[in-house]
Amino acid sequence: MTRLAAVPERRATFQEDKTIGALTTVLHTNGRLLFRRPSRLEKITFPPAAETIVVDGSRLAITMGDEPPRSVDLDAHPEVAALVEAVRGTLAGDLAALRRNYAVTMEGSVGAWQLTLRPADARVAALVRAVAIAGRNTDVQRVDITQANGDRSVMTITPQP
Amino acid sequence: MTGLNRRRPALRHGWPIAVTLALSCLLLALVLTRIDIRTDMADLLPRGGTEPARFVLDQIRTGPATGLILLGIDGPDPTELARISRAMKRSLDHSGLFALVENGEQPGPDDPDTALLFRNRYLLSPAVTEAAFAVPALRTDFGKVLQVLQSSASALGARFGLSDPTGAFPALAEAWAGASSVRSEEGFWFAAGRNRALLLAATRAGGLDIAGQGAAVAAIDAAFAAARPGSATLLATGPPVFARDAAAAIRGDVERLSVISTVLVVALLLWRFRSPWVIAAIAVPVLLGIAAAALAVQAAFGFVHGVALGFGITMLGVTVDYPVLLIGHRKRGEAAAGTLRRIGQAFALAVATASLGLTGMLFSGFPGLAQLGLFSVVGILVAAAATRWLLPRLIVAADLAPVALDNPAGILAVERLRAGRGIGVAVCAAAALYLAWAGGLRWETDLTALSPVPQAMLAADATLRAELGAPDAGVAGLVRGADAEAVLRREEALLPLLDRLRAEGAIGGSEIAARLLPSVATQQARQAALPAPDDLARRVALARAGLPYREDAFRPFLDDVERSRTLPPVGPGDVGNGRIAARVHALLMPVDGGGWAGLVVPSDLRDAAKLRAALQGEGVAWVDTGAEAGAIVAQYTEIAWRWFAAGGAIAVCVLLAGTRDPWRVARIIASILAAGLVTLACLRAFDIRLTMINIVALQFAAGVGLDYALFFARPQLDDEERARTLRTLVICNLVAITTFGLLATCRTPLLRQIGITVVIGAVSAIIFAFLFAGPKPGRRAI
Repeated sequence: MTRLAAVPERRATFQEDKTIGALTTVLHTNGRLLFRRPSRLEKITFPPAAETIVVDGSRLAITMGDEPPRSVDLDAHPEVAALVEAVRGTLAGDLAALRRNYAVTMEGSVGAWQLTLRPADARVAALVRAVAIAGRNTDVQRVDITQANGDRSVMTITPQP
Repeated sequence: MTGLNRRRPALRHGWPIAVTLALSCLLLALVLTRIDIRTDMADLLPRGGTEPARFVLDQIRTGPATGLILLGIDGPDPTELARISRAMKRSLDHSGLFALVENGEQPGPDDPDTALLFRNRYLLSPAVTEAAFAVPALRTDFGKVLQVLQSSASALGARFGLSDPTGAFPALAEAWAGASSVRSEEGFWFAAGRNRALLLAATRAGGLDIAGQGAAVAAIDAAFAAARPGSATLLATGPPVFARDAAAAIRGDVERLSVISTVLVVALLLWRFRSPWVIAAIAVPVLLGIAAAALAVQAAFGFVHGVALGFGITMLGVTVDYPVLLIGHRKRGEAAAGTLRRIGQAFALAVATASLGLTGMLFSGFPGLAQLGLFSVVGILVAAAATRWLLPRLIVAADLAPVALDNPAGILAVERLRAGRGIGVAVCAAAALYLAWAGGLRWETDLTALSPVPQAMLAADATLRAELGAPDAGVAGLVRGADAEAVLRREEALLPLLDRLRAEGAIGGSEIAARLLPSVATQQARQAALPAPDDLARRVALARAGLPYREDAFRPFLDDVERSRTLPPVGPGDVGNGRIAARVHALLMPVDGGGWAGLVVPSDLRDAAKLRAALQGEGVAWVDTGAEAGAIVAQYTEIAWRWFAAGGAIAVCVLLAGTRDPWRVARIIASILAAGLVTLACLRAFDIRLTMINIVALQFAAGVGLDYALFFARPQLDDEERARTLRTLVICNLVAITTFGLLATCRTPLLRQIGITVVIGAVSAIIFAFLFAGPKPGRRAI
C-alpha cells in the first residue's frame, strides 16, 4: 500500500463490463480515469453512455449526457462514499480509508496482488456485496464490484504513461 | 427620651403586622399557584370577526403553524454550513421532539415516509394516466431505464427503474417538493445571495404546550452547540422561539426591576416613616388586593390571562397610595378614628371613583379588557377595605406615623407656588395647540405592536420566512366541506386555477392538501385506469421488444401495478406521523363543531387582490388574519376609549354626589384633564403610537391623579394637616415615579410603554393636582 501511496498522479483508460440480472446482454462502456493526490478522482465515460464523474474531497459532481451537473455530498450518502472510497482509497494507497468502510483482505505478492473489500456498514451492504481489486506493483488493473442483487461490474484499467 | 418611648411600643406591637403580612404573602402565593394563567395573545381577543377568521385565528393559536421554527445558520464557508445543517438535522430528528425537520437533504432510501409514497405511488402520483401505460410510452421509459443501468447510478436504476419505469414516484416526489424556490447547494437549502444555510422544523408540541415547545427550542440550541459550529451563528425564529425569548426578556426585566425598585421604595419609605413596619403595613392591602383580584378573575373567566395579570398589578399600583395616605396623615399617638375622620371622605371618594370608573371595562365585551376591569375593581375595593378596616389597628399598635415636621409653616411658602396657576393653564393650552398642529394622536392597529417580541426579531422572522419561501400564514383561502373527501374534491377543482395564477406571476406557489393527497375519487379513478395484469404484461412484452431486457426484467413493475389495483385509498388518517403527516395535517383538518377545512396558503404572494378575486370567484372564503386581527384591535381600542370616557363620567357623578361642591369637583376634574392632555401631548412628541397599553397606563395615571386631587382639595384644613398631605402625596408620587420610571428602561416594548406613559402621567398629575385642585393660599375654602 505504501508503494501505491508514493504515486502522485495516475492517468489510465478503462473498459467497464456490466452484467445486470434484468438484461440479456453485458453492457460495455469505456473512458478514461485521472487520479491526483490526495483526493481528486475523475472518471470520464465516452459516448454513447457519456458521463463525467469528478470527486474531490467529499464532493461528487456527476454529469450524465447533456443533463446539468448534479452534486452529491459524500458525507451524506455513505453508500456512494463507500464505492468511491474503494477505488480512490486503493489508488491513494490509503489503507486506513479503506478500513473505515470495509473489512479488507490482502492476498498475493507485490507483482500480483488482490484486495477483497466487504462493506462494514449495513446501509452499504444493502447495495454492495463485495469489491475485488487486483493489480501489479503500483498499478491497479481491475476493479470488480458485485452488488447485493447479484449485478456485477468489472472495470479493467490500462495505465497510461 | 422620646426616641426610646417611640421605639419600644413599635417593637412590642410590630408582630401583628408581621403576622398579617406573612398570611397575606401566603394567601397570594397560594392563589397565584392555583389559578390557571394563560399567556396566549389570542386569549385576549374576542371570538368575534367573521366565521372563517375565527377558524383561522384558532389555527394560528393552536394549529401546526404555532410549532414552526425557522432556522438560519450564518458563516463564511458554505461547505461548513452544510455540515452543520446536516448535523443539526440528525440530532433534531433523533430528539423525537419534532414532527418535521427539513434542510433540503433528500431522505434516504429507508425513510418510512418515502416508503409510504413509493408503495402508494400509483394512487397518489399525478403521472398515473392511461397514456403512461400505452406501449409507445412504455417503450420510451424502458429506453431511459437502460441508460440509467448503463451509468454509474446503475444500482439505483436496478432498484427503482425496474419497478417504476413510468416514473410515477419521481413525479410524486416533485409534487411534494412543491414550488420550493429555495436555492440548493450540495443538496442543502441556502438563502439567496448570502452564506446562510436554512432549516425548517415543526415541533410535535402544539401552541398550548409551552413546556413541550420550550424543550424543543432548547434541543435546537443543544443541537447547534453539538455540531461544533465554530464561528458560525444560529438565527432561530418562529412562535416557540418568540415565546421563550419574550418570557426570558420579561423575566429578566422584572427580576432586575423588582430588586432595584424594592430597594429604592424601601429607602424612600424608611426615610419618611423611620420604621420597617411601614413597608410591611403598606404591602398588606396591596397583596390582599392582588390575591382577591386574581381569584375573582379566575372564578369569573375560568383563567387569568398573563397580560391581564401584569396590567392588573400595574393598575393596583394605585392601591399602594391607600396605606401611605392613611399612615402619612396620622399624627403620632393618635387613635385610628382621628385620622379617619380627617381623610375618610377623600379616601372613600377616591376608592369609589376609581372603582366605578374602571367598572366600564367589565362591559366592553373584550375579554382582555373585561378581565383587566374586574381585576382592577376587585383589587381596589379589597385593598381599600383592608386599609380602612384592617390596617388602622395594626398601625396604631405599632404607632406608625411620619417623622415630625420641622416647620409646619413652611407649607405656606410652598403653596405660594399656586400663584403660578396661569402658567399651568398656558401649558395646557400649548399642549392642546401642539396636538392640533401635529394632527391629533397616532394609533397603532398592528397586533404585533402589543406583542412582547422585539421588532428586530420580527424582522428577522420575516426575512427567514421569505428566504425559505415558507408560506406566510397571514392570508389564506379556506375551503369547507362536510368531510375530508369533500374538501379535497373542491380543492382539486382549484388546482388548474392555482397553476394559472402561478404562471401569471400572482403567486410564487401555493400549499394545498389536494396536491399532496388526492381525493379518494381521484385515487380510485387512477386505480381504475391501471391496466389488468395480463394486459399490462402483454404491453410490457411489446414495449421491450428489441431492447436487451430479460423476459421477467419488469416483474417488480407488473407486481406493483397489480397490487395497486386493490390498495385501499390513502386518507388523511393513513399518512403516518412523520413529514407527510406534518404537511397534510397543517393544510387539512377537522373543524370543531363538525365538518372539515382545507387551507390554500400562497407563498411569495405578489398580487393579493388577484388571488383573492380568483379564489372568491370559486366560492372560496378569503381570510387575511393580519387585517382581521388589526380590525378587531382597532374596534376594541375604540371601545376601550369609550368606556374610559364613560368611567370618567361616572366618576364625575360620584364626585358631585359625594362632595356636593361643584366648584371643588371642577378643580379636581380640571387637574386630571390637564394631566391627561399634557401626557398625550408628550407621547405624541415622542412619536409613540397609542395602543391599548397606553390607555391602561393613562387610566392608572388618572387614578393616582384623582387621589392627589381629592386630597389636595379637602376643605377645612390647618397648616399642619396641609403640610402632611403635601408630603404624603409627594411620597406617593415618588413611589410611582420610581417604580414606573424603572419600567421605562425595560427592553420589553410593552413594559417600556407602560413606564413612559405612567411616569409622564404621574408627574403631570401631581403638578396639576397641586396647582388646580388645592385651594389658593389666602383664599381658604370654608
